[in-house]
Amino acid sequence: MGNRKSHGMMQEFWRNARALPGNVWRSTIRHGPLDTDLDRAEVMNQNFFLHILPVSVHRNTLRFSYSLGLGAIAFILFLILIGTGIILMFYYVPAVDQAYPRMKDLEFVVSNGKLLRNLHRWAAHGMVAVVFLHMCRVFYTGSFRPPREFNWVVGVVLFFLTLGLSFTGYLLPWDQLAFWAITVGTNIVAYLPGVGKQLRFLLLGGNEVGQEALIRFYVLHIAILPVLALIVLGVHFWRIRKDGGLSRPEEAESPLVSMTATPASRDPAGGSLQIFPADPRKTYGLMELVKGRTPMVDRGPEDTLTAWPHLVFRLFTLSLLTLVIFLIVSLFFDAPLKELANPNFPENPAKAPWYFLGLQELVSYSAFMGGVFIPTLTVVALMLIPYIDRGPAGTGVWFHSRRARKIALLSAILTTAVIWLLLFANMRTGGVRRFYPDSPQWLIDLLNPGTLTVLYLVVFFFIAGYLTDSLREASIGLFTGFLIGFTLFTVIGVFLRGPNWEFYWFWQSWPAP
Amino acid sequence: MNRRHFLSKLGWTSFWTAVVGMVAGLARSMYPNVLYEPSRKYKVGYPADFARDVVTPLPGEKLFIYNDSKQGFYAISGICTHLGCVVSKTQEGFFCPCHGSRFDHSGKVKAGPAPRPLPWYRVSLALDGQLVVDAGEEVKPGTTLPI
Repeated sequence: MGNRKSHGMMQEFWRNARALPGNVWRSTIRHGPLDTDLDRAEVMNQNFFLHILPVSVHRNTLRFSYSLGLGAIAFILFLILIGTGIILMFYYVPAVDQAYPRMKDLEFVVSNGKLLRNLHRWAAHGMVAVVFLHMCRVFYTGSFRPPREFNWVVGVVLFFLTLGLSFTGYLLPWDQLAFWAITVGTNIVAYLPGVGKQLRFLLLGGNEVGQEALIRFYVLHIAILPVLALIVLGVHFWRIRKDGGLSRPEEAESPLVSMTATPASRDPAGGSLQIFPADPRKTYGLMELVKGRTPMVDRGPEDTLTAWPHLVFRLFTLSLLTLVIFLIVSLFFDAPLKELANPNFPENPAKAPWYFLGLQELVSYSAFMGGVFIPTLTVVALMLIPYIDRGPAGTGVWFHSRRARKIALLSAILTTAVIWLLLFANMRTGGVRRFYPDSPQWLIDLLNPGTLTVLYLVVFFFIAGYLTDSLREASIGLFTGFLIGFTLFTVIGVFLRGPNWEFYWFWQSWPAP
Repeated sequence: MNRRHFLSKLGWTSFWTAVVGMVAGLARSMYPNVLYEPSRKYKVGYPADFARDVVTPLPGEKLFIYNDSKQGFYAISGICTHLGCVVSKTQEGFFCPCHGSRFDHSGKVKAGPAPRPLPWYRVSLALDGQLVVDAGEEVKPGTTLPI
């Protein structure tokens, strides 16, 4: 009796031991080659990492010329930043006497340390740019329209979290850039009416920029902001799924109908598709419930493709390309590092990274307007876009209409002209104080190139709206003006401002200090 | 409102009150009660150390000390009122390199985005006869310490 029991046990043991590799493989990978659409659908549901993607995606979603892959690239850069950031944390010490030498260690001592830091910095710059371009893509294709209004707002929040992560990040090396960026940045905060002074005190952990400030910005950079960004990112992705995937044109207007319809499936009467061709290998099921005006009951399946391999392949290719490009950049270009922070002497000119130089240009006219009022107005205006511009026309199409393109071009030209005009008027006259030395501060705040540009944009919006009688076209004009203004002020801040924040053309050399 | 709704409202109100209270307590602990910062009250030297009618810059303290033969001693802040950069002394007064603000000799704004004049600080004599500048206490421009 006892013998037979142990005999069976041994048999079972050996049987399982022999089957071990196969069983481990099957329990981990859980499937063979994905040959049928059923397999491809199943893998999206079975795999935790793929489960973020839908089982099938609309053909329009896969069109590179529609999305430009910008959202995906931004997310890939975020992953690169997390990866490199975690390794950098092993070497970085958030103390004013250690931070800077640690940067030098990364540069000269740590294996691949320089590459890591370069990659982290350039990916951060790249992420700011790509997130901004992603916002432009979503705007110009009208992808914020209902039911996607909320996700647009979430996206705007993510844009500002990205800026916050960048700002708190470049303070950490405790070089000249870092020190004066915190000084200027927290002084801008102090201009907030009412709570500004207290908020500055809270951010700095005191009245002066020092150790307390560094540790606060460090914790913001490595814990609070990334966790917030991850949560909001989760909401952003979740909403994409719940709002029915990427936006696309109204089915009736879609050029895809003719593109996807093979001659065999096209109805001889023209246009409409044969929805369910006889194909026993295909299985359709309810994959997810989405909101929307036009659930694609009868045409959906023909315009969609399985996410595996079509979407997954594209995402992986995009990841590799992004990684390779940023690696190459990091191999050839070093991340900036200035001298050790010196609280007694700001650099001249003291410049923030390029994405804040537009703001710095505005701040150089008026700290309250450039640092508080115009940014707040911009955030509010951006968040309101999907609640003001709600009409369905033009959703999923670049630039809505031929006339909208013309208005965008006109707005770009006009905005450029207005900004140069204001800038030169300001330089020639030296601003309000030249005529009126004792002018009150509110006049300085009100009459400067930054504020007047904003005023011009508002006027342009209403005139364009009145003339075209189209809210969409007017808002395309306004957004283009904002885009051009932001870019132009950035270009001026980056290239055309020299010592003492004075204006120098590209070809003019700066005077020796 | 029936009993069920009332109790439900009561429950949710207690829950959110507890959460808000908790968060407020956490936030309060972020507001420091003790500062490990050097005092902003500086002993800058004996009056005789300062030459007559010359402006003495003190870069470490970010101050400019005036010894005016008619009016006496006064101290002007070297921190730009725009965004906190350090100003430098020029022929006409002061100049901030960050965004080009200009001030005259008394700290009044002449050009640029600075919203306020450079503050004057309280100058007094310590018991040992040295001048003391309290960068924590602003005084009206024109207030001097006659010697």
